[in-house]
Amino acid sequence: MIKRVEVNYRGIFQKNLGKFIGGDIVQIASRMGKVAFSNGRYSDSPERNGIPCKYFAFVSPDLSEEELEAECGAKLDIDEADVSVVVDDTMVKGVEPWGWHGVRAINEKVREKGCLLVVSRHGHDQLLKFVPKKPFSYRLALVEGDASFAGLWVNKDDLTRERVLGAIAAVDPGIISIEAVEAYLLERTKERHRAEAARAAYDATLRSTRIIKAGEGADWAHEIPRLPTWKEFEDLGVAVPAVPRGFKMGPRGQARNDAFKRGTTKSHRPVVRFDLCIKCTLCWYDCPDECFDPTDDGLYDVNYEVCVGCHKCAEVCPVPECIVMVDELKFDNNDSPWEHHKRDPQGYITWAEDKKGTERIHYPHVTGTGMEIRQGKFVPPKQEKGGAAAEAKA
Amino acid sequence: MATVVQETNVWARDALLNGCQAVAQAVRLADVDVIAAYPIRPYTEVMDALSKIIADGELDSEYIVADSEHSQFEIVKHASSVGARAFAGSSGTGWMYGFEALVVTATDRLCPLFVVGNRALDDPGAFGVEHNDALALRDMGWLLCWASTAQEALEHVLIGYRIAEDQRVLMPMALAMDGAFLTHSQHMVKVPSQEAVKRFLPPYNLGKRRLHPDNPVSIAPQVNEDWVMELRRQNWEAARRARTVIPKVYESFNDIFGPRYANPFFDEFMCEDAEVVLVGLGAVAMPARTAVRRLRERGKKAGYVNLRWFRPFPTEQLRATLGRMKGVGVIDRNFAHGSPDNGGIVVQDIRSCLYPLTQRPAVTDFIGGLGGRDISIDDCMRMLEITFEAAAGKQRDELVTWIGLRE
Repeated sequence: MIKRVEVNYRGIFQKNLGKFIGGDIVQIASRMGKVAFSNGRYSDSPERNGIPCKYFAFVSPDLSEEELEAECGAKLDIDEADVSVVVDDTMVKGVEPWGWHGVRAINEKVREKGCLLVVSRHGHDQLLKFVPKKPFSYRLALVEGDASFAGLWVNKDDLTRERVLGAIAAVDPGIISIEAVEAYLLERTKERHRAEAARAAYDATLRSTRIIKAGEGADWAHEIPRLPTWKEFEDLGVAVPAVPRGFKMGPRGQARNDAFKRGTTKSHRPVVRFDLCIKCTLCWYDCPDECFDPTDDGLYDVNYEVCVGCHKCAEVCPVPECIVMVDELKFDNNDSPWEHHKRDPQGYITWAEDKKGTERIHYPHVTGTGMEIRQGKFVPPKQEKGGAAAEAKA
Repeated sequence: MATVVQETNVWARDALLNGCQAVAQAVRLADVDVIAAYPIRPYTEVMDALSKIIADGELDSEYIVADSEHSQFEIVKHASSVGARAFAGSSGTGWMYGFEALVVTATDRLCPLFVVGNRALDDPGAFGVEHNDALALRDMGWLLCWASTAQEALEHVLIGYRIAEDQRVLMPMALAMDGAFLTHSQHMVKVPSQEAVKRFLPPYNLGKRRLHPDNPVSIAPQVNEDWVMELRRQNWEAARRARTVIPKVYESFNDIFGPRYANPFFDEFMCEDAEVVLVGLGAVAMPARTAVRRLRERGKKAGYVNLRWFRPFPTEQLRATLGRMKGVGVIDRNFAHGSPDNGGIVVQDIRSCLYPLTQRPAVTDFIGGLGGRDISIDDCMRMLEITFEAAAGKQRDELVTWIGLRE
């Protein structure tokens, strides 16, 4: 018997989290006398910020290492998963890891009676608005929490790693047992709170697991692209046709690459209050992915299909509350916000403010002079972190 | 496949390591003196792991980040000439960029060890495995072998240095491992103890060839037609002697670490009574073995030969094993366009090796897994079936079948 776990994570931001969870499963399973190994989906590399990626762990109680490797070792992706872990819940809207792969369902690999395990603060019903139907029943389990984001070389030590291990033990003890998770964490770190966090997540996950019936979930609109045969390369060889040149004013006015939209990269999207816009052009000018479409009335529409949620526009916008980043799961389509605004200006304001809510996402700046600029204003750095540059400015 | 034997004083610990990290651990155990690094995926993680090992104080070594692969390889060549045990590695086009340095390392009879994380050659850009990078060494007077697990990769750094530095050999050693499937897969690996490694791997001693103030020599002067042919001839002799040194080194390894390797040159999987076998290098052994097992369940006498050493080519040993077969299917994860059968590189050597036999098996070739595409269990079963057909005398239009290609 082989158990397969996949960890769906955000490229770079959660790279170490995914790798650690995969490696932890191998070590815990080995301590339980099982055979296991772990690898990443190599096609994901080199990872880009936020791109949906995967890490795998394979565990068997009865096969030899050689047999387990023979079955699982030289494959780029898995055919089915006993547990699909999702460490950023916005990926339930679909994942598009690279061009020509298409937007794939987050539960694509979950097998019958398997489990989709999501780190989220949203409930089952909210997630099922996006998770597509399957022809058989499976389980949806939740680990309450935010997406744990860090960076290329670091892991944010917020216990997500430990809690996910506890949750995996809850949804499939045939992979790792909670006792083995606790023993491993205690021995490796000598810190009791880590084992306790795993146990608490284990208990909570047992309570949060829900059976999803066949046909329950969202309709799925995305098709898997057909890849070309070798004969189709005879004309151009390694050269591929460029994205056609072209530009017109208005929504979706710019020619873009249809084979890779990258929109599933985002955890947050910018919501624009067009009535506050001073037409300074900065969002359009600074957007690294050219997501803003100029309109005839001097505004800039957002194409959410290609926006990766990088926050740049919200950072550079000089008008307070004009561009605000909002949790991607609050939206169920990629429609043009500018068209909404033109159709119903007052209704759009109400809608935008409802989405924006009152909480604001702020990330501390990590480079530069010790000053940060947020919505046109210098924000003084915190004293304890300011350093010499900040003291000079002060 | 070889199995790990537990011996308390020989293995220090079990550790979770991927193929790159396993190689780095072996470099630590081999107490390498000079490491030159230049990043290219998938090799990069080897240099990352080594820099951490050095920063953690676990290895005292010169660690030089070069400006390119060419400088990187020149640095270890020179280090090797003064008697330093040296290590470098690369992948794909980076490896090819340093090729001038690789060629002279062999003609100078210097013996650093290089790891090649196999990667497709550009263009187009691709990170996945393809064997053309390492196979480009095949005519250059190098030792060239493939590891197919992280454990084997670790052990073959030690085995590799021992063979390369043997006074009868003195050849550079390339240890190839499949990008992704081996370099980036995390396994529980048994790490040998330093004492056991010391028993197995003596210090590097270049003897009279060593460049040193106490031993003034000039290496590689301009000689033109007067000397070249004689120098090539002694290179030839060393490569031929390596064939007899290699089994002795494995014997010594097995003595210390347990019976790890029954056959130094290749692993035989279910070959004893086999009628048809596939031959491949590296990670394709994984699906191929499962395919063999499945065909055996149907009563078909299939087998798999996991070819480890490609240079020196184990001619006699392969002749003995493959000569018993009715059919041999060669899996080429490489290309040799325009070669005699328009097949891959490995099939040419296998066919040449079998040619002197009066009773020759039918040999057929498969090109697959290029650029890192998976070779599935089903693909391997299909290859076995085609090889069975060839063995039964079914005429095919071409010797070569492309596997997993979108037609």
